[in-house]
Amino acid sequence: MTKRAGYVFVAPFMVFFLLLFLLPLGYAGYLSLFKDQLVGGTVFAGLANYSRALADDQLLHGVLRVGLFFLVQVPVMLLVSLGAALAIDSGLLRAARLFRLGVFLPYAVPSVVAALMWGYLYGPSFGPLAKLGFNPIGDTLMLPSLGNIVTWEFAGYNMIILYAALRTVPAERYEAAAMDGAGPWRTAWFIKIPALRPALLLCLVFSVIGSFQLFAEPKLIQSLAPTVITSSYTPNLYAYSLAFISQQVNYAAAVSFLLGFVILVVSYAVLLTASRSRR
Amino acid sequence: MTRRSTTLTLGMGAVLIYFLFPLFWLVIAATKTTGDLFSTFGLWFAHDFSLFANIRETFTHNHGEYARWMANTLVYATVSALGASALATFAGYGFARYQFRGRSMMLGTVLGTIMVPTTALAIPTYLLFSKAALVNTPWAVILPSLVSPFGLFLMWVYARDAVSDTVLEAARIDGAGELAIFFRVVLRSLGPGFVTVLLFTLVATWNNYFLPLIMLNDPSYYPITVGLASWSAQAVGGSGANADLLACVVTGSLLSIIPLIAAFVLLQRYWQSGLSAGAVKE
Amino acid sequence: MSRKVSHWRLAAALAASVLALTACSGTDTKTTKSAGPVSQADIDKAMTTPTTLTFWTWVPNIDQEVALFEKKYPAVKVNVVNAGQGADQYTKLRTALKAGSGAPDLAQIEYQYIPTFSITKSLVDLRPYGAEADKSKFVDWTWGQVTGPNGEILAYPQDTGPMGLLYRADIFQKYGIQVPKTWDDFAAAARKLHAADPKVYLTDMAANEAAGWHGLMWQAGSKPYTVSGTTIGLAVNDAASKKVADYWGGLAKAGVISTDPDFTDNWYQGFNQGKYATWITAAWAPAFLGGSAKPTAGKWRAAPMPQWDTKAVAGNWGGSTTAVIQGSKNPIAAAKFAEFLNTDADTTKMFNTVQNFFPASKALLADSSFAGQRNDFFGGQQVNAVFAQISDTVDSAWQWPPFLDQSTKDWTETVGTGLANKADVAAATDQWQQRLTSYAKDQGFTVSAGS
Repeated sequence: MTKRAGYVFVAPFMVFFLLLFLLPLGYAGYLSLFKDQLVGGTVFAGLANYSRALADDQLLHGVLRVGLFFLVQVPVMLLVSLGAALAIDSGLLRAARLFRLGVFLPYAVPSVVAALMWGYLYGPSFGPLAKLGFNPIGDTLMLPSLGNIVTWEFAGYNMIILYAALRTVPAERYEAAAMDGAGPWRTAWFIKIPALRPALLLCLVFSVIGSFQLFAEPKLIQSLAPTVITSSYTPNLYAYSLAFISQQVNYAAAVSFLLGFVILVVSYAVLLTASRSRR
Repeated sequence: MTRRSTTLTLGMGAVLIYFLFPLFWLVIAATKTTGDLFSTFGLWFAHDFSLFANIRETFTHNHGEYARWMANTLVYATVSALGASALATFAGYGFARYQFRGRSMMLGTVLGTIMVPTTALAIPTYLLFSKAALVNTPWAVILPSLVSPFGLFLMWVYARDAVSDTVLEAARIDGAGELAIFFRVVLRSLGPGFVTVLLFTLVATWNNYFLPLIMLNDPSYYPITVGLASWSAQAVGGSGANADLLACVVTGSLLSIIPLIAAFVLLQRYWQSGLSAGAVKE
Repeated sequence: MSRKVSHWRLAAALAASVLALTACSGTDTKTTKSAGPVSQADIDKAMTTPTTLTFWTWVPNIDQEVALFEKKYPAVKVNVVNAGQGADQYTKLRTALKAGSGAPDLAQIEYQYIPTFSITKSLVDLRPYGAEADKSKFVDWTWGQVTGPNGEILAYPQDTGPMGLLYRADIFQKYGIQVPKTWDDFAAAARKLHAADPKVYLTDMAANEAAGWHGLMWQAGSKPYTVSGTTIGLAVNDAASKKVADYWGGLAKAGVISTDPDFTDNWYQGFNQGKYATWITAAWAPAFLGGSAKPTAGKWRAAPMPQWDTKAVAGNWGGSTTAVIQGSKNPIAAAKFAEFLNTDADTTKMFNTVQNFFPASKALLADSSFAGQRNDFFGGQQVNAVFAQISDTVDSAWQWPPFLDQSTKDWTETVGTGLANKADVAAATDQWQQRLTSYAKDQGFTVSAGS
């Protein structure tokens, strides 16, 4: 009896999931096996789109770029999130609630608005940052500038997850530490951070996905620096431009699938490394 | 009691300034005319204070389409968020508390699709929707937002902890049906989790840009993000007559983020406790 | 147990049916109607039957022109939709066409995009609806642009953008610069001006403006695209193209012109702050600039383009047409609306007075009230007269490729990037050629090395 009830509970979600997620996904997989030409129409292509994608320099460069982005931006962001979460949790802060809310606030800002604001602040001829003497949307600084936007948007979100996890650490552990004479720094290092491991891992996996799927921010900043952010700047941007500019929907589907595979591999590698280092 | 640390407070103050700095700019900029936006220093008020004129212009430009976009966003976000949270709560509980064949396969599939790039789904979804005559209707935005794998994950984890077996057993002995148990006994304890998923799906749909951009052609269906982006495009690319629109884009941006921020502030207590469950599990 | 099975069966059946639906019903809109001429009786019937037409356009305030049409034909309602500007609209239009539903009856299409949409047979041939009779009403080269490879009439011209030079008379006077007649003069002036004031550039050659650049190639006599059926001649790196590339690459490398992306806030500020002393642009620009660089009112003047040779030649940048989209259920009413919108004496005049469009209509160009208009932003100069003269010198043989988005994208990533990075721009045209060639081959075209 309870078995059947299980299905009743999951069925509504699974039906929607099937129709709105798996079906388009299956359709994308189906499309990726064809080739549609302006002259000659649609022909079955087998795995040709995939073999082409594997040899595609533009895709490779995009993947390497977001890989670099991941390696630099994510640690910075998570350090900021971790530091803020520990500070707010430490009880040493005045007006802790204000800080918690203030840091989290950017998460509620749409990426369209975030790009508008930072786009202005980055503006080469009138933005306050340009007055300091550098061009944030030039060739060399673009990736850090995008990293800054993403950090600004999501550090608060990660902080909240970490902070919420800190609230669940059993009080006895703190009491034991206090008895041993540990100060706030030692408590943070020896008790809190180890307790945060699963939450950090969760943040990390979500950041893998976020980094490798980087799309909205470069897309919205693109109009300010069209020669710096090329159509293949990130793999997701590349898939978009293949589908909507180059009219190569089938190839775009193959590229997206490969990207999903890369994300899967990297996420798995992250989890594996984490569970190894625990032993 | 612990002593408060001034050094730490000051340090965090610097961090806070970084996070509030662009929003500070947005507030200042919303009080300026388009001309002043560029000719005066960005981080302080201009001589003319035109916030109210800007707000008026924002709401009246082109037959008041801004108000229409806000209303659309409100409807899309509320319907999607309520639907998505309901589906996720239902299913999360089902996955957490029942054993049935195919359970782990289904769960694994759902969680695995978090990895799939969203752009991969955009075109197939569009093509499928157009077969079903859903393109350029509000459903094209609402339906895809109803499925939140992350919401399911959160509710699954939450339901494992928040509902105790003894309560369930007791209710079953009383002869209550499974659905009755869910609505009478379980739902209350899943409350914080539900609010959390509700808020996060609310943000996701409120901020959604790419999906409605592709799905909607008619500006009267636009949500606020697509509307603002189209104004912005008109302001820079259109005929010179639209140049003053930039002030409306800025003011409209500011007004558009106020409802979400208010929702987060008002519902703080719920979503923070809801998240803490999701955060401790692997 | 039985319940579970039925769940899965239902889901599987649902999935299978939707998949089957999508698999076999691909785009079936790709059939051209080659119907004979439509009789006057048919037209009368169509114009008196209650109909609603959907029209995608980003022309501001076009409701006013549409109202004139609805007044004359009360049975036909036109639903005007702004589905985005330029590329945004084309993306939506193409996706809707691909899906086979959701496309409008009519759409605003810029000249350069007509082949991009006619290769997919997405534009209705207007000949059966009497379009050939309108030929003489339009400037010759615009009619050439809307005529397909087999003589189809694919759209009605609406406005145009013959290219000229807008310049700041005050800056020219201050530094003793003459209005350049040739490109050599222009280069000398660029060096002189920048040396005199390092904050000022003679012009901004935007590194993202493929359309403007094509206009320059057009003027220089380049023949980058020659299309006949499924064979396409590609020569985006022909001698004339390289001449243009070398010229601008040299000035960019010397640092005497800027390469800021155009239509950005930063670029508008460049005009307001007097960073750019000229704008090499099109006939729609005087009105545009008047709206977006108000602080500089009265300081601007218009002149013809500098020339490569003694003979005056101009290119075109922008301007739009009205096309009927394949799949429209009311092609007669749609075709007649497109015709009315762009040939009626009142609407064409209104496009000029309300939207500040530069006309494609011969009658209006010759109208003394049009040419005689004085523009205060340009110190009272008769700007329309300048551009009306330029309009006559636009070379009508120019062709666009059937995949302009791709060419624009590849241009930005080769030539545009070369300009911005002060690299070898002539060599960048070779990369452009190479990228475009492999794209065209991949799309199934037979590629020949050009004209």
